[in-house]
Amino acid sequence: MSSSLLHPPAQLSPVVALQLSQQAPSLLQNAPSSISPYSLGSLWSAAESPELWTVYENLMLSCLRTGDEESAHICLERLTARFGADNEKLMALGGIFQEAVAQDDAALKRILEEYETILNKDPTNTPISKRRVALFKTLKRTTEAITALIKFLDASPTDAEAWAELGDLYVSQAMYKQGIFAFEEVLLITPNAWNIHAKLGEICYMAATANEPGSDNYLAESLRRFCRSIELCDDYLRGYYGLKITSNKLLGSHPRQSKTDGGLAPPTQETVQRLSEIATSKLSEIVRRNAAGDSGYLGYDLGEIIAAKELLNKE
Amino acid sequence: MTWISKSVTGLGLVLLAHACYSAHEHSALHSISTASISSVASHGSSTPAVASLPLDIVIETVVAIFAVCVGLVLGTPDLRPIEWRVWAGKIEREGERGFLTGDGEVEKDYIGNPFKVLEIRPGFVDIRKQRKEFAAWVREGGGTPKK
Repeated sequence: MSSSLLHPPAQLSPVVALQLSQQAPSLLQNAPSSISPYSLGSLWSAAESPELWTVYENLMLSCLRTGDEESAHICLERLTARFGADNEKLMALGGIFQEAVAQDDAALKRILEEYETILNKDPTNTPISKRRVALFKTLKRTTEAITALIKFLDASPTDAEAWAELGDLYVSQAMYKQGIFAFEEVLLITPNAWNIHAKLGEICYMAATANEPGSDNYLAESLRRFCRSIELCDDYLRGYYGLKITSNKLLGSHPRQSKTDGGLAPPTQETVQRLSEIATSKLSEIVRRNAAGDSGYLGYDLGEIIAAKELLNKE
Repeated sequence: MTWISKSVTGLGLVLLAHACYSAHEHSALHSISTASISSVASHGSSTPAVASLPLDIVIETVVAIFAVCVGLVLGTPDLRPIEWRVWAGKIEREGERGFLTGDGEVEKDYIGNPFKVLEIRPGFVDIRKQRKEFAAWVREGGGTPKK
């Protein structure tokens, strides 16, 4: 269970998050409350390890999520005692804590002003810039969030996380062309990220179904993205699911041979048919082996398996 | 290192120590007895006799080395995939379970899909939204309260 504390807690299901925060008081008691580098114990064991601080950080985020503010406060205190209050990352964690316990929008605006003061003093404070964007998002001021994020990316264009956030913000405003551009920037930085290829495929599909201009190209592009994600990752459930949906749509819509504006030629019906069959067979194999409890197929997310089953049943 | 590899290696090391000690004892004994015989037989001109190590010590040493080698080999972890898509597929398909050490614990450097952080984005976490969603989940009856 503690292995899950080494990963960011946002991905944990609520059940696991609840368990973790319930264990928080005992974890905090067992861990040393102050690390002194000269204790006798440091003769034979390291007094602290990098994992200890990652655990504190993730524990704090989990506790804030479940509402256990005392444990979160203790974690924050220990982190501050170790790293000092003017550490950038710690300022951001303190900001997260304040945002979580803020009572109303006025308090959030005060926190926003604090962030801006910090940024005026030191414009290169990356974690606080990101928190400012996140706070705009919380306050539902999406256009200001986008503007702030673009300014941040002008200064630091290789931050894949920021590009991905920008892409998500655009998509939430249904600006699909810009969202696709942002995620392509992510792929420039991390070209082998199979989940980002799948995400791009999903966005292209959304753009195609929203009848954006050039939607035939979007559908073909979506198909290619899902194929690429499968090429990068064997048995990728999300990739095959997307492949099946887009190939079905392509088979059903009979796209006319659109004049390509410098892009690739659209795939032939025969290719799409074969891809659809491959996707169906692979999806049914994964679902069947997962249901049978095959030891190599148990790592899939339950929600995704259920969605795949429904898709197969619809046929 | 699994328990069986540890025990076989330990046994091999014990045998090796025993063989070395026996050899040392043998050479000490042999040199004393040779010295006393040669001082009786040929006054002074002692030819240092070739230390003839008994066969069982030699066999014990060889067996000990073999046991240590076998123990270490048994304790090696599984080979990891080197093709990107095979490795990625293993993460997606098997999750944590595909990356266990011999003792059945998750490998220390396993971090799952390293690009998942681009979709979770902990630097931009909207903590109030997460709190609201968690509270809604609890209200709908998910999770039994501990108290």
